[in-house]
Amino acid sequence: MNRAGWLEELLAAFLRYGSWSASAAIGLGYALALIGSHAPSWNPPVLFNMRIVRVGIALFILLPILRVLLMLLVFIRERDFRFAFIAGTVLAIILLGIFLGVPGT
Amino acid sequence: MAGSFNLWLFAVSMAASALGGMLGMASGIFIVPILTIFGHVEIDTAVGASLVSVIACSCGGAAPFLKNRLTNIRLAIVLETATTTGALTGVVLAGIVPVSYLYLLFAVILFLSAHQMLARRRSPVLASAPAPACNWSDALELDSGYHDWELGREVTYRVHRVALGMVLMYGAGLISALLGIGSGVLKIPAMDTAMRLPIKVSSATSNFMIGVTAAASAAVYFIRGTIVTEVAGPVAFGSVLGAIVGARILLIVPNDKFRLLFIAVLVVLGIQMLLIVFGVHLSEVLR
Repeated sequence: MNRAGWLEELLAAFLRYGSWSASAAIGLGYALALIGSHAPSWNPPVLFNMRIVRVGIALFILLPILRVLLMLLVFIRERDFRFAFIAGTVLAIILLGIFLGVPGT
Repeated sequence: MAGSFNLWLFAVSMAASALGGMLGMASGIFIVPILTIFGHVEIDTAVGASLVSVIACSCGGAAPFLKNRLTNIRLAIVLETATTTGALTGVVLAGIVPVSYLYLLFAVILFLSAHQMLARRRSPVLASAPAPACNWSDALELDSGYHDWELGREVTYRVHRVALGMVLMYGAGLISALLGIGSGVLKIPAMDTAMRLPIKVSSATSNFMIGVTAAASAAVYFIRGTIVTEVAGPVAFGSVLGAIVGARILLIVPNDKFRLLFIAVLVVLGIQMLLIVFGVHLSEVLR
């Protein structure tokens, strides 16, 4: 029970701080855009703000994939090779899906 | 104008994620129709934004569920092999199966699920009920327990019929990939009726799994450039906040009330799917 509780705490912390970081990037991009629209003297290019927002979105998309990778690493470390294999399979299927999906229309 | 549209996107996503995150079906199933009908957003842009919203909802709401042990992570990773394989099959088969039949199938599944879940209302928490052993569940050590705030005690549960659960998860991943609809709405009835999990465990575990399937699709959309930053940004931001609110509500809401709310949403979505089926036929007739 303790071991499972430890992994749950780790995943909770990872997903919480990951979501906060991604949200912070999106929030920062919009904050800069807002300041820029109200202060004519200081006006960074709009594309720059949106690029920060885009980094936040990319971070969000990476989070669940990194979460599976994190589980894989923890299972390997715990020498729980059955579950390491299961997590590795999920990761492989996700990457295969991206690989097959991108060239399509 | 742009500012008020951002605020609208933010508010809509927050509300959709609060409801979707709490129900464990994420927000995509609500966000796509709202964005296209009321926001006049293009369907591709709406689907791209909804995928980001689903991920934000899944990740943002995960921490409270994990800390309260509502999420069964061992079961989640086992079932993810089936959902991702189903989604992958869907990507390969896309365009081969007529979509209107799939919507009809989806609607029928939703109504059947609602009926099944209603029948299970009398046994909300199978706490100490001696259950027949499930080989897979024992071998993979999937049985678990959580602290139920409503009951004020630890609830231990067994995971039943893992093999059937895997087959249903594969089907859920397949249908949702073919239709571009989140699979949470199909996952929870499968966990509830086939695997006999406590309703909140089904919801939390589904919410946890959903992000992975959505991330694979979202990555494809992102690389292709179909995710529009100006729409997806406020949607993601609102979804995280909504998911946190939704998770808090799920932790305290009574099990039977939660079940009834879920069944009501299943029926509404089923009717919506049926309307799409008839809409498709109408447009073919008109043509």
